[in-house]
Amino acid sequence: MEFISILINGLSLGGVYALIALGYTMVYGIAKMLNFAHGDIIMVGGYTIYVFFTMTGHPLLAIAAACVMCVVLGVVMEKLAYKPLRGASPLAVLITAIGVSYLLQSVAQMLYGSAPKTVIIANFGVVTVGSFSISIASLLILAASALIMTVLTLFIKFSKVGRAMIAVSEDRGAAQLMGVNVNGIITVTFLIGSFLAAVAGAFYLLKYPSISNTMGSMPGIKAFTAAVIGGIGSIPGAMLGGLLLGVIECLFNAFPAIAPYTDAIEFALLILLLLVRPNGILGKKRREKV
Amino acid sequence: MKNSKKILCLALAVVMLACAFVSCGNQGKKSGDSYTANNTTFVIGLSGPLTGGASQYGIAVENAAKLAVEEINANGGLFGIQFSLISYDDQHDPSRVATGYANMLEQGMQVSLGCVTSGPCAEFKALSKEDNVFFITPSGSNDEIPSESNGYQMCFADGNQGKAAALYVNENFAGKTIGVLYTSGDNYSEGIYNQFTENLNSSVTVVSASFTEGATDFSSQINTLKNCEFIFLPIYYTPASQFMIQANGAENNMKVYYGCDGLDGIDAIEGFDINSIPQEVSYLSHFNSAATEGASGEFVKKYTTKYGEAPSQFAAGAYDCVYAIYEAMKAIGEDKLSVTMSASDLCDLLTAQFDGDFTFSGATGTDMKWNRAETGYGYVEKAATKYVVKTAD
Amino acid sequence: MKALKKIKWQHYIAYAAIIIFLIVCSFFKISRTNLYIFEKIAIAIILATSLSFVVGFLGELSLGHAGFMCIGAYIGGKFASIIVEQLGNGLPALILSVLVGGLCAAAAGFIIGLPALRLKGDYLAIVTLAFGQIVMVLFQNSSRASFGGAFGLDTPRYGYKSLYVIAFVFALLTIAAFQNIIRSKHGRAITAIRDNEIAARATGINVTKYKLLAFVISAFFAGVAGVLYSYTQSKVQSVNFDYNYSIEILVMVVLGGMGSLNGSIFAAALITILNEKLATILTGNLAVLQNLFYALILILIVIYSNAPALNSFREKYNLRRLFTRKSTAADFARDKDDEGSWARVPTKIKMDEVLSLDLDAKDAYTPDKPDKPDQAESNRKGEKHNG
Repeated sequence: MEFISILINGLSLGGVYALIALGYTMVYGIAKMLNFAHGDIIMVGGYTIYVFFTMTGHPLLAIAAACVMCVVLGVVMEKLAYKPLRGASPLAVLITAIGVSYLLQSVAQMLYGSAPKTVIIANFGVVTVGSFSISIASLLILAASALIMTVLTLFIKFSKVGRAMIAVSEDRGAAQLMGVNVNGIITVTFLIGSFLAAVAGAFYLLKYPSISNTMGSMPGIKAFTAAVIGGIGSIPGAMLGGLLLGVIECLFNAFPAIAPYTDAIEFALLILLLLVRPNGILGKKRREKV
Repeated sequence: MKNSKKILCLALAVVMLACAFVSCGNQGKKSGDSYTANNTTFVIGLSGPLTGGASQYGIAVENAAKLAVEEINANGGLFGIQFSLISYDDQHDPSRVATGYANMLEQGMQVSLGCVTSGPCAEFKALSKEDNVFFITPSGSNDEIPSESNGYQMCFADGNQGKAAALYVNENFAGKTIGVLYTSGDNYSEGIYNQFTENLNSSVTVVSASFTEGATDFSSQINTLKNCEFIFLPIYYTPASQFMIQANGAENNMKVYYGCDGLDGIDAIEGFDINSIPQEVSYLSHFNSAATEGASGEFVKKYTTKYGEAPSQFAAGAYDCVYAIYEAMKAIGEDKLSVTMSASDLCDLLTAQFDGDFTFSGATGTDMKWNRAETGYGYVEKAATKYVVKTAD
Repeated sequence: MKALKKIKWQHYIAYAAIIIFLIVCSFFKISRTNLYIFEKIAIAIILATSLSFVVGFLGELSLGHAGFMCIGAYIGGKFASIIVEQLGNGLPALILSVLVGGLCAAAAGFIIGLPALRLKGDYLAIVTLAFGQIVMVLFQNSSRASFGGAFGLDTPRYGYKSLYVIAFVFALLTIAAFQNIIRSKHGRAITAIRDNEIAARATGINVTKYKLLAFVISAFFAGVAGVLYSYTQSKVQSVNFDYNYSIEILVMVVLGGMGSLNGSIFAAALITILNEKLATILTGNLAVLQNLFYALILILIVIYSNAPALNSFREKYNLRRLFTRKSTAADFARDKDDEGSWARVPTKIKMDEVLSLDLDAKDAYTPDKPDKPDQAESNRKGEKHNG
């Protein structure tokens, strides 16, 4: 029975990872860049929630404000830091993204200091079924992330913008020739990615109500790992990878003897998986054209 | 090309030779430099994290030490000589300590409060041993820190905190099951945990859970510990607050949270309301920040007036460190002291005092003793109290 | 004199600067604070040049450099703490430990490089990052008897009065090693892989072998730096080697200019000095400004030197051209291997474009006499030095 509560906990953590991983994978698939600063958008979302929540005391309003803030930040970030580098070497873009990540962290530290703060936006308590108990927050997060992922999948499959996104990710040049506004699509991608990060940030706070200026880096790296495990560029892959990583993390944490090594095991898993399947579980094989 | 390579090889050989000469030459020289020749005050050095994640400890310690120095100076100093405090921001990074230490020596440091945090303090210990500089740390609680003849602690060592907590549990929870949550891979937490489990009676059953530094998810730990009424938390207050909040949102039978000095400050986290936790929260301490009477009450009043917040036990420790140095120097006597005396000479005099029958009473206790003859370490001996942050609802 | 004229000053400026610096230092009395800073500078130089080799010359991003350093510091430090009991805390023990630590780091580089180098670009970055974290976690949770675990590993500390000289000699050796590798045929193979992996493979370069070679050499020197670091400390604590440290080294490399060893060396020294000096100037809330400053520098430099829109601007106001005052024709004849031409490094994703340019219709294929690549290499070398 204990296993079930661990599983649900893991799935809800996995849901959060999956939402973050979706941002990574979409940006990677469409803009062909690794947005290292994606994790720090969660941090910005966290601080926005903190500011608005202490000001108004209204959790939903704070989350809405965080979504707006993150979306604006994501788009501005893309326009100022990444757009000038379109067509430059991926190494250059990656290093710029690392710079942006540091910039966001130090700005947050300047504004709010480095001591962690606690934000309890809501306390849902637990539900007891038979002999085991599950936190309601976990269930809610699980349901909400499943809903968001479904909506996103439908949006990408059936809307015009969504299909344009697929087109750009498959062949940017050809998409442009077909009249797709590539720059616009990339902006939309950042917009959606940042929105998902803001939501993930809110969920993260619901589970772990503490914010600090470096709170985004570990979930960011984990989510990126999840995206790579699932196959970067693949949307179902990101979801699968996120859920898988969340469950693995909670499962290993349950054994005191293994718990200290959980991070190491997750990263080792990434390396091993890339050895066996260099493109991740669901990733398409990218052929180098000559 | 061949010529240039020859030139290069020659140059490298020259450097190697130079290197050999430099090292030989230096070994011949006497190592003591007279940095203190121009001192006009007794200079106390302090290294601590004034910025970064651990800055609240460093700032509290610096503030309290400043307060003590200002007070002593306002009362005429020691035998007419004033004190001054120099501090260095080590950012809780051991690799920064050496430069900071050298920097303070060059500014004339004669006696030191060591480092605020244990990691950097271990480095400080090794450096200060080489030059024989006296230090008494207000908060570097690792067991190994006062292992050399020049180092002392004002706070309880980790191992002693673990022992004290084990005694408390033996007395109150014999025959029961208790839970422990500690940080694996953290010297503070593991240090207390090891001593705690070693000193427990066999009648007490222990359920242990651990997490790594930076962990956010405590659900599995809560799951492991949920049936224990008494939870021992030898961890820092940030993860402790997270653990408490998450335990609050899960079913459990926990009634008492009991920690060590790492929990000091748990009631001051922004956004965290300690009263939302139904359990009793208490920790082992040498200082009562709610005191209104005695030396501690007076210190609380002074500190609160000056800095607008209640002092932590680290601040109290720093305040006492400065006064302990002051008292010890007073006991040495005017004729043996001079303002330009070297750190090493002062260290010999001070260690003789501290290892002798010198006792000190201050904000963190009365009749404190440093009994190196018995333990071999500069551990402090004083009474530990259980400080209750909040009682159970 | 004629021979001296032939020497390219760029190749020797770093040696000259360090040697002159050391000679000057031996005449003056340097304060103890500065001696400690010098140690750090030397270590930073070793780290930056070794990372520069992988990032700037091989063209692969490694975010786990601190992990190799960590292995060097722990294993070299452990070895040193054992061996000083037999040899005493002197130069022989230090050199042996440096070798051991460096070799262990190199072995780790080989083990991680073998699978990782099958991957490219961003994947490699994340795998090296993961590697760094794994190493940190393993050492952090090691038993107290083996590597000290949470309590840190006690390592011998070398006398500060001579350690900086030793560290700088190691820095010199590192620079010499990389300069020589880069200008050897192996170095040319490695830069060829950076410039165009498929073309390099097509010319018969064993890409995997050279990538692995570059990776292992770089890891070796990171390990050397780690051992030297352990000698500056009385305790090695794994928290110092988190991925932020890897990024700090990367900042040095980027600030110095990709593909420029001299730049990396200069930037390593500059950033180390700034780190120390700014810490005493910027206190309290201002201390964050330092990080802010690094972040902005990183972004601005990369955008300035890479943005396609700024290409013409860069051509016009090229620093190098302002100093050398040579004609454009001479520019083309210039030795290209030690140049910050990172901007022009084509990406591996855009491979098809680059190759389609090479196969211009005008360049009809004319079968040459099959020339061994090695021979061609040495022929070209010979020409350059004779002519």
